[in-house]
Amino acid sequence: MKNTLRAFLISLAVVGSFTLAALWSEEVKAVFDKPLLITSAGQNAEVQIVAVLAKRAGLEYSLAKLATAEDLDNMKTLALVLGTSLKGLGAAGLDMDKERDRVTALVAEAQKRNIPLLCLHLGGENRRGQQTDELITAFLPLAKMAIVVKSGNSDGIFTRVCREKNIPLIEVEKTADALDPLQKAFR
Amino acid sequence: MVVAAHPLAVDAGLRMLRSGGNAVDAAIATAVTLNAAEPFASGMGGGGFMVIHLAREKRTTVINFREKAPVAAWPLMFKEKGEAENEWRTATGLAVAVPGALAGWDLALRRYGTRSFADVASRAIEIAEQGLTISKTFSDINKEEYERLAKNAGPGNCYLNEGLPYEPGDILRNPDLARTLKFIASKGVEEFYRGDLAKKIVAAVQANQGIMTLEDLASYKPEEVSPLAGTYKNYTVMTAPPPASGGLHLLQLLKISENWPVKKWGRNSPAAIHHLSEAMRFIFADRGKYLGDPEDVDIPVQSLLAKKYAEAIAAKILPDRPLGFYPYGMFQEKKAKRDNTTHLCVIDQEGNVVALTQSINDFFGTGIVPEGTGFLLNDHMDDFSSDPQSPNAPGPGRRPLSNMAPLVMFKKGNPFLILGSPGGTRIFAALGQIILNVTEFGMSLDEAIEAPRFFSYSAEGKPKPVFVESRIPQTAVLELQKMGHQVEVREAYDKYFGGAQGIMVVKKGKVILGGADSRRDGSGAGY
Repeated sequence: MKNTLRAFLISLAVVGSFTLAALWSEEVKAVFDKPLLITSAGQNAEVQIVAVLAKRAGLEYSLAKLATAEDLDNMKTLALVLGTSLKGLGAAGLDMDKERDRVTALVAEAQKRNIPLLCLHLGGENRRGQQTDELITAFLPLAKMAIVVKSGNSDGIFTRVCREKNIPLIEVEKTADALDPLQKAFR
Repeated sequence: MVVAAHPLAVDAGLRMLRSGGNAVDAAIATAVTLNAAEPFASGMGGGGFMVIHLAREKRTTVINFREKAPVAAWPLMFKEKGEAENEWRTATGLAVAVPGALAGWDLALRRYGTRSFADVASRAIEIAEQGLTISKTFSDINKEEYERLAKNAGPGNCYLNEGLPYEPGDILRNPDLARTLKFIASKGVEEFYRGDLAKKIVAAVQANQGIMTLEDLASYKPEEVSPLAGTYKNYTVMTAPPPASGGLHLLQLLKISENWPVKKWGRNSPAAIHHLSEAMRFIFADRGKYLGDPEDVDIPVQSLLAKKYAEAIAAKILPDRPLGFYPYGMFQEKKAKRDNTTHLCVIDQEGNVVALTQSINDFFGTGIVPEGTGFLLNDHMDDFSSDPQSPNAPGPGRRPLSNMAPLVMFKKGNPFLILGSPGGTRIFAALGQIILNVTEFGMSLDEAIEAPRFFSYSAEGKPKPVFVESRIPQTAVLELQKMGHQVEVREAYDKYFGGAQGIMVVKKGKVILGGADSRRDGSGAGY
C-alpha cells in the first residue's frame, strides 16, 4: 500500500515536471554568430562532444578546455558546457575553486565584450550534483540560450532558472539530438 | 553459483555449470563473456589474477596473468614526459603493457578446467555478434571516456556509436570481437601471442608511439604461484600475492583493526572511520616504500603481516585526531586516477571455488583497438611509479604493481567468503569494510557490499582527505571534521569505491548466498 502511494506520487511528480519542461521547450531561433569558443565549466567530458557536434553542424569553432580571456579574441559566441567531473578536474590539476574562478573571469570578460553565452548541459542526470548545481546557478542566468539533455533537468532546475530569466530552453532526449538545435541557433 | 559485473556474463558461467563444467570452466566463460558484455572494464587486451580453491584436494592456488612491461621499458619513461606525463601513461601506445588475460585463461583451463576455449567463448561470440543492449552504467562511462576513445579507437570503431557515445537502450554489436574469438577458438591462443593477432597488436601499439614488440608478446607467460595467506581472528584469507598488492594491504588493514574494538565503536562511527582511515594512510606509506614486482624487489611480506607490526601501527594512531605524518611515504598520487577493473566469483557443486579479478586499468583502457580485432588494449603501464627510485619503477619485463585482491576467506578450513572488487587503490579498503561488516556487524553479504564506504590514503607522508559516500551520516562527517580530517563527500553509490562481487557459504555449505554491487551492473545467479 505504502509502495503504491509512493509510486503514484512519484508518477505525479514526473508527469508534472515533464509537462513543465515540455511547455518551456522552445523553437530554436538563430541568435548566435560564429565563430564560437567552446569550453567547459567543471572540466567535463561533454565539452569534447560539443566540439564534435559543432564540427558536424558546420560551425566555425575553437575548443579550449582551460579557456581564459585571451581565447575570446575574434570570438562571437561563448559556449559553456556545464557539469563537474572530478576526474576532469584532477587531470587538469584544478580544484573547484580554481575552476569557478577561471569560468567567472571568462564569462565576465565575454560580457564586457558583448559576446553572448550559450549554456549546454549534455551529461544528463549523471552530470548533476551539488558542484554542478553551483555552476548552473552561477552561470545559467547569464545565458542567451540553453540546450540540455532532458534527464539532466528532471528536477526542473534548468526550467526554473530559464523561466525566471526569460532564457530560451531547448530540451533534447539524447546527446546526439543536440546537433539540430546547435546548428539552428547560429546565423 | 556465479556472481559477476554483468548479467550476461553470469548467464554464460551458469550455462557452463549447468552443462557439467566445473568452477574453472564457468569462471573463464564468465571472464571471456565480460570482454563482450562489459568491454570497458576488462578483456583479452588486459590481465589479472585468479584464486582457485580445489575442494577435493583442499588446495588453493593462484594464476598470475598480470601484464608485463615491454623489454624496452625504462625507469624514466614517463617522468621525462613532464607536463604530458599523464597523457602518455594512459592514452598512448607507451601505456600498453603486454596483455596476459588470454594466456591466463588458457593456463587455468588446461590445468584445472574440463572444457576447450571454443566452449567457454561461445556465449561471448553470440553476444558480440547479436549485440549488447547498452545500460545506463555503460552509457555514463562511455560519455566520461569519450575523448580518449574518439582520439584512439579509430573511425568506425564499435565503442562509439557513429562517433558519439552510446545512450541507454542502444545496441552495440562487435563483429570484429566475434571474429577474433572464433579465430582464437579454431587456431589457438598462440595466435594472439605469435600469429596474425600479435602483428595487429604491435602495429596498433607502435602506431600510437608505443614500444611493444612481437618478441614481447611471444615471450609472455602467465604463472601459477602459491597464494598469500594471512589471518583475521579465526578466519584465514587466501589471496593473490605481489605484484598484486590489494590482498597484502587488506590483510594489513584487518590485522591492525584486530587491535581495536571496532564492533563496540559501531559501523561507520566516527571512531571506526577515523582509526581505519589512519591505518589506510600507514598502509599507503608501506606500499610506496616496499612494493613492486617480486621478481625484481624483495618485499618483506611476512614482516608487513606480523602481529607485532600491526600492533606498532595501531599504537601510533591517536584516538582523537589525525597523526598528520605517515613515515616511509613514497606513494605518489596520480592525477585523476580511477583504475577500473572487474571481479567475478564462482562456486560449483563440488565446492570448487574461483575468485577472479581482471582489468584493462582505466575504463576502456587506452582506447586503442588493434585493427579489426574488436578488443581494447590496457593502460596498465600507468600502474608503475614515475619515480625511477621507486621499487615499482618501470623496467624491462617487469610487472606493474596491481591493486587487485581476489580472495577466498576460510572458516574452520572451509570456504566461507569468496570476494573481490574493482576500484584501484580503494580495493583493499572496500574489501576490508565488507569483511568487517560481515564478521563484526553481522550483516548479510549483500548488505555488507551495499553499505556505504569510506577511504583515505597518504602520499609522500602526508594525509589525504577521508572520502565518504554521502550515505555516511552527516553527524559522523562533522565529528571527523572536528577531529581535524578533511572530508570529501561523494555520491551515495559511487563507483570510486569499487564494485564488489561475492559469494558466502553458510550452514556447512547447504546455503550459498551471492552479493553483487549496485555501484555497477553486478548480478548473481545459481541453481
